[in-house]
Order: sequence, then C-alpha cells, then structure tokens
Amino acid sequence: MDFFPIWLSLRVALLATLLTVVAGVPIAWLLARRRFPGRDLLSAALLSPLVLPPTVLGYYLLMLIGSRGAIGRVLAGWNIELAFTWRAAVLAAAVGSFPLLIKTTQSGFESVDRRLEQAAETLGHSELSIFWTISVPLAWRAILAGTVLTFCRAFGDFGITLMVAGNIPGRTQTLPLAIYDHVQANQLDQANALSLVSIGIVLFLMLAVGRAARLRF
Amino acid sequence: MRGTVLRTLDSGLRTLCAAVLLAGSTGASGQAQTPSSAALMVFAASDVGPAFSQIVPQFEQKTGADVTLVLGSTGMLAQQIRNGAPADVFFAANESFITDLAAENLTLRQTNTLYARGRIATVTLKSAGLRINELKDLADPRIRRIAIANPQHAPYGLAAKQAMQAAGLWQTLEPKLVFGENVQQAAQFVRSGSADAGLVARSIADTSDLNWTLVDAGLHAPLNQMAVVLVRTKQTAASISFIEFVKGTQGRLVMRQFGFLLPGESF
Repeated sequence: MDFFPIWLSLRVALLATLLTVVAGVPIAWLLARRRFPGRDLLSAALLSPLVLPPTVLGYYLLMLIGSRGAIGRVLAGWNIELAFTWRAAVLAAAVGSFPLLIKTTQSGFESVDRRLEQAAETLGHSELSIFWTISVPLAWRAILAGTVLTFCRAFGDFGITLMVAGNIPGRTQTLPLAIYDHVQANQLDQANALSLVSIGIVLFLMLAVGRAARLRF
Repeated sequence: MRGTVLRTLDSGLRTLCAAVLLAGSTGASGQAQTPSSAALMVFAASDVGPAFSQIVPQFEQKTGADVTLVLGSTGMLAQQIRNGAPADVFFAANESFITDLAAENLTLRQTNTLYARGRIATVTLKSAGLRINELKDLADPRIRRIAIANPQHAPYGLAAKQAMQAAGLWQTLEPKLVFGENVQQAAQFVRSGSADAGLVARSIADTSDLNWTLVDAGLHAPLNQMAVVLVRTKQTAASISFIEFVKGTQGRLVMRQFGFLLPGESF
C-alpha cells in the first residue's frame, strides 16, 4: 500500500489547523466580545464554507490563486507556485475547516463570565493581556474542541482540495483523493484500507483528546 | 481601546505570516526529498488509464525517466492546465480540448499528435446476467439505469450520447441516464451495481467482471485522441519521447490490446 497520501493528509491537516487556530481564535474572540460595523456580515461570511458547495469555494479559490488569478499572478512574480501544489491543499483544508473553529471557539469565549474580564479591565489590564490571561485560559476547552474538529475536517477535505490542488499522485493526492481514485480504478481493497485508516485516525483523535481533556463533541 | 484590538489582530497576522513562511520552507525541503519534483507529469484522459498503467512502467524502464500519471476527464484536466497545473504533456480523449488550449497559446502546436482512435462499448455486470448485443437492448425495462460519462466535458460521454441519438434511442434512454464525472466513474457505477448498464470506453471495459459489446463506430463522431506537449514544460524532449513511445511498437502493442487503433490500422 502507498502510504504517501496518509502522510500528506496528516501534514496538510496539521498545517491547516495551525493556520486556522492562529487566525481564527482572535477573530472568534472579537466576534464574541466586540460590536463593530460589519460584524454580522463577517460572522456569516466566516460560517459560509460550512454550507456552501465545496465546488463554489474551490472554483473561486482557483480563480484567485490559479495562474490567471489575482493572487496567483502576484505569487508568480515572486516565483511562488500555490495552485496545484500541496500548499494549495493546506489552504483548501483551512478554508473548509475555518467555520468549525470559529463557531466552537466563539461560543467558548461567550460562555466566559464577562465580569471577570471587566474586573481586569478596571484594574488597568490591556485588551491583549485580558485575552491571554483571562479569556483564553477560561475558554481553553472550547478552543481545544474546535482545534480537534478543525483537524478532523481538514484531514477529510475532498471537494475544495480536488479543485485547487489537483489530484497528483505523490504530490497533492491526499487521503480522500486517493480513496476516490482507488474506487474509480476498481481497487476496492485499497479504497477500503485507506477509508478505514481515515475513520480510525479521526475517531481515535476525538476519543483520545475527548477523554484526556474531558471534552464532549 | 480599538488600537489594542488592532494590535491583537496585527500580532495574529504576523504569526500567520510566519506560519505560512514555515509551511513554505518545509515544503521546499519536502519536495527536494521526493524524486517526483523532476518527474514527467503526464495528464491523461481516464479512458487510457488501464493502458497507460502498463505503458508508463515500460517507458520508465526503457528510459530511466520518472513519470507521474494524473487521470481525470479531459475537460477537467484541460481546466486545471488552464489554471496552471504542472502538466508536461496532455493526452486528451479528443481533439476539441486540445484545439481550445492551443488557441490560448498553452500548447506547443508542432507536437500535436493523434495517438489513438477510441471506441465505445456497452457494458453490463456479468453477475447480473443481462447481456447487451445492440444499443436498442438498452431499452429493456430490466435496465433501469445506464451510466455514461458526463457528455458536457467527457468526450466518451459525448460519443455515447451521439450514438444513442444516431440510433434513435435518445428519447427512450435519456430518463435512465446517470452521469459519471469521467468514464472510469461511469464504469464504477456499473461494477457496483448502481447502474444496470453502461456506455463507456472500450479500453476500460475488458475486465473480468464485465460483459462488453462494441458499439458501431459509425454512430458517433470519431474519437480522435490527441496528445500535445504543453508550453510550460521544462522537459520538452522527454514529453515528446513519451508521446512517441505510446505511438511506437511497444506502446501500440498495449494500446491495441485495449482496443485503441490508429487510422489505417486493423486487428
């Protein structure tokens, strides 16, 4: 059996999760704690990858980062290729899983007792300091749950990845894409093996982290 | 207060950029480890999949080259090439997609090569005990679903549609049709029992689990399968030699075995 798709998917999901958490946790906190113009629009836009067809996301992402897209052309000027590389798979997985992190983390921040943050504010703590020393430590379970869900979703992305990263064996063929190819080529044993690996990794992660941190998904 | 919020976002963005750079650098080292970065990227219509899975290793053995084979419907692969996919050479299932790419200056026109002419065949699952001898047998009420590749972007799907139209069966059969993204997926629908019959490429029909019957080639426009080297390649010579290999003695032997012929050839 070819193990490359498994390693690639693990690496892609890990990096996508990293990107999503770093960008998403502060945004989730803003959505939970601040009122600003365009907040509802931002909230809806960030949730949309969960409900939009992956083809729509993949198509527009490709129009942006493809060799003719606005971002793609800029990157080409710097000699960076994004579309149809494994980095595009990271981007695809991050886009698809972003809403899961935002929603889970946002509700975690919302359930933090507001008075604690207000008390810190009266004591002269900066917003950044409140975020790090009060909000994040009190909402860590929600952040962790969101992170695990993000990883699992990123690990399984199919539609967006297919469109922006292609399906290149040994380069961009992630686990879900490899399963698709095996089914098409009637190699059902390999398709089964990889599907079981995929189910196993996701279930193990949710159960293991869930038990260790007493999370409920 | 708003300033702090912005600072939070700013530091977030900085970390994000750092992470992206990190991802980029690990990627560079990751690619250096795999020999596939210098591999010849062959994008090919899925109907040649079974034949190419034999031809590619023969070519690699003969030339020492490293080939990565990417299969999909001709239309989808053309779209990826248009958007910058790293293909060196493209084996399409017909001419029109190559013509379109050529009009956009994405191909090396002088390398345009007819490498095979395809045929379509009806298939049924052996274990289902239904045998199709002619197209009109597909009207049999026991055949509830017929799988073809999507005629919008898969040449073999279009040929299947044309054959049904030419046989005057389109009205009858259209309600039974299910579309695969490409011809391999259409065949998979039949293998899994989801469709009772299929109209697919002859080249993928000859497997132990399927009964197949050739469809009269006069019923559809010729499936002139064209290959072309792409402008972006850095391996023009290797790309041309792969096309020549497919058309050469060794390649033809395999292609013939899967029912592909060139004009003027016969079994």
